[in-house]
Amino acid sequence: MSRIGSKMIGWLGAFLLAIVLLLAFVGPYLVPYDASEQSGAPFQPPGKEHWLGTNDMGQDILAELVVGARTSLTVGIVAALLATLIGTVVGLVSGYSGGFLDAFFMRIVDICLTLPFLPLMIVIGVYIGPSLLTQVLVITLVMWAGKARKIRAQTLSFRTRGAVLAARSMGAGHFYILRKHIFPSILPLVIPQFVQAVNVSILMESSLSFLGMGDPLSKSWGSILFYANSRSAFLTEAWMWWVIPPGLCIVMTVLAFSLIGYYLEERVNPRLRAYQAPAAKRDRRLAQEKLAAVKPAAADALLDVQNLTVQYPKDGGTVRAVDAVSFALRKGEVLGLVGESGSGKSTIASAVMQLLKPPALVSQGAIYFAGSDLTQLSSEEVRRLRGNRIAWIPQAAMNALNPVMNVREQLAEALRSHQSMSKDEIAERIDEVLAQVGLASRWAAAFPHELSGGMRQRVVIAMALVNKPDLIIADEPTTGLDVMVQVEIIKLLKNLQRTLGLSMVFISHDLPVVLSLADRTLIMNQGKIVDQGNTLALAKTSTHPYTRRLIDSIPRLTPALEQRSLQGQGQR
Amino acid sequence: MGVHKQERDTMQQKVLLQVSGLYKTYGSKGASRQAAPVIDGASFSIRQTETVGLVGASGAGKSTIGRIIAGIEQVDKGKLIYQGQDLLAMKAKERRAATRSIQMVFQDPYESLSSRMTIEQLVAEPLVIARLHKNDPAKRTELVREALREVALSPERYMHRYAHELSGGERQRVGLARAFITRPQLIVADEPTSMLDTSLRLDLLGLMRELSQRHEIAYLFITHDLALTRGFCDRLLVLNQGQIVETGTPEEVTENPQHPFTLRLIEALRELDQF
Repeated sequence: MSRIGSKMIGWLGAFLLAIVLLLAFVGPYLVPYDASEQSGAPFQPPGKEHWLGTNDMGQDILAELVVGARTSLTVGIVAALLATLIGTVVGLVSGYSGGFLDAFFMRIVDICLTLPFLPLMIVIGVYIGPSLLTQVLVITLVMWAGKARKIRAQTLSFRTRGAVLAARSMGAGHFYILRKHIFPSILPLVIPQFVQAVNVSILMESSLSFLGMGDPLSKSWGSILFYANSRSAFLTEAWMWWVIPPGLCIVMTVLAFSLIGYYLEERVNPRLRAYQAPAAKRDRRLAQEKLAAVKPAAADALLDVQNLTVQYPKDGGTVRAVDAVSFALRKGEVLGLVGESGSGKSTIASAVMQLLKPPALVSQGAIYFAGSDLTQLSSEEVRRLRGNRIAWIPQAAMNALNPVMNVREQLAEALRSHQSMSKDEIAERIDEVLAQVGLASRWAAAFPHELSGGMRQRVVIAMALVNKPDLIIADEPTTGLDVMVQVEIIKLLKNLQRTLGLSMVFISHDLPVVLSLADRTLIMNQGKIVDQGNTLALAKTSTHPYTRRLIDSIPRLTPALEQRSLQGQGQR
Repeated sequence: MGVHKQERDTMQQKVLLQVSGLYKTYGSKGASRQAAPVIDGASFSIRQTETVGLVGASGAGKSTIGRIIAGIEQVDKGKLIYQGQDLLAMKAKERRAATRSIQMVFQDPYESLSSRMTIEQLVAEPLVIARLHKNDPAKRTELVREALREVALSPERYMHRYAHELSGGERQRVGLARAFITRPQLIVADEPTSMLDTSLRLDLLGLMRELSQRHEIAYLFITHDLALTRGFCDRLLVLNQGQIVETGTPEEVTENPQHPFTLRLIEALRELDQF
């Protein structure tokens, strides 16, 4: 749903709600009759005197609707307020304090969630008599537990957030943290929760009243329906004006709160906003048509990226995350792509894999892989290449291994999705690839949590290698590992490159890592390639100021070099 | 800058924090299961105005030690003597008062600053929590301005902005200003540079060094990057598997490592250094 669409839905909800509110607040001044008194003949059809006719006792139905609106809204809002309030307090305390209090409250929540509300209503009704208060009580009792659970889950996740830890390190007390940090964080969740609660409680109130368990003395939409049903409205034509209007009122109110709730929920959680893919495809095609003819791929290049531009909309305009970037990779070559965060290096990787996250799109340029332009292939054709001929090692992949599959199963899955092999062939290939990445075959039966960071990264590399790809795109494969493991992984990649003749695009923000591995290096800054060349030459002789600054800011163990970099620091 | 620090003979300074026999196991309460301890009897001290580097591999327990000192992590056994007071023997409230002069700078410049507060509110938060100058908003604002100037951020330009409008380097300086505003004796800096771009790392360290020279602050600088500690730290502690296995100046440790773990760490770094 697009943003405008969800706004429209919100406004529609507000409009419907306005009609209901108008009925409740302006109604008494428009309708000259008292709902509880006989004001005309029984079963009078709608007309000048009685706009919506009368019931079997000659009471004006519009007057009843007005009173009913007040009852339904009052019960709905009071019950929802109480349920949300209790749920929020319990959820906050339970999630924040943990331990005994948490266990205690959550068991109560479990019990409340199993309460059937009809029998409960009958039992409580017997003890304190059917009344509005009973309804409010029952609805609150049934609803608060669900709210408490949701708020607790949110509180749990906020409790360990950086800002809360920071406040604790400053010596903040629990009350301060709850009031200043956790409550404001969950407030955006509480408001849609409340709106949904109003919705549900109005529906519950109507159902209870319709079953005759409401306050017999106060009229609500549900009780109008109850009397219509029990006093033979369906035997005459009267049901048309006696049953339909209160029914419509209930539908309209519930719909109003649903729509408003949907809008609020979506505003709090933008990820719910599904993206309109067809429009983006059309945009891309338009852009592609406008695109000036690119050269055919260079003959000796495995990957030939020409004039690649990736853009996404922002604040009404467009931002170019990658701006007219061209480079080529020969077979057996390692190309380093270095840049600081936000320089567009990972976006290039996503573009090559055709895995850009919408609304980012390739607006210009071509990506030739083995002669064909990846941007022009169908998604099925790209899927067949992906993981097979082009392998991707995404950022932090070692933390994204499937926790319930062991190493052998994960590798087998990667194999099976691209090749048809017998069981023996699969087993053989897995042993072979594990040996290549330096993992003893006994680790094949291990689950990811049983492996160290370095070993997990080896598994990720094995998954990339298992289908014997022509090209590997490795996005920050050493980030998050400590120095000793980094060196191990670099050595492994170097070794694999030499023995298997791998072609690889190696992306990292860590210049020393790239310099120690890549044959050629591109330096990126703000979406553009600012400097490039043979890695050694680049490191020793580049005169580009940005490259120099990056190289000079590498901390060194070697004193001579370190002195130079620190003095450069002091002068700035 | 190293010269300036060496002139002050840190050996003469009084001990600010004495940590002894620290022991902590995660998970099973009471350590009834055989979980390996994260911190296994670590002992060390930090003197006044001294910058101590705590280095080790990931998972060695560096951050846990920092968090224990900052009071946001519980400990199973051990002693923390800060300015002569036994912190672990205190009630929570007393401890918060006694450790007001210990502040912390976090690794993640995005997460550790609340997105709902302006920079002014963020930097003033330690004052609010400590109820300092409670009835004097002008004084608080003045202190915020001063703290921002100390970290080379112009108060006029930054005070009314929000953290998400700032770059990672700027945010980390806001974090430093926030730690500085209560005039702390000790700042625990947990990998403050690891999420910054390479070209900004030395800038932040330079700033931290200037701050400590002007205002006599001691740092516990937690890092996995030994190379960063040269020229910044007075003394290094090498942590391996929850124990301090080696200590010395960064020069001593890098040029003449004693423990096999330190040796491996330095070999790895040298390997990255060659090109």
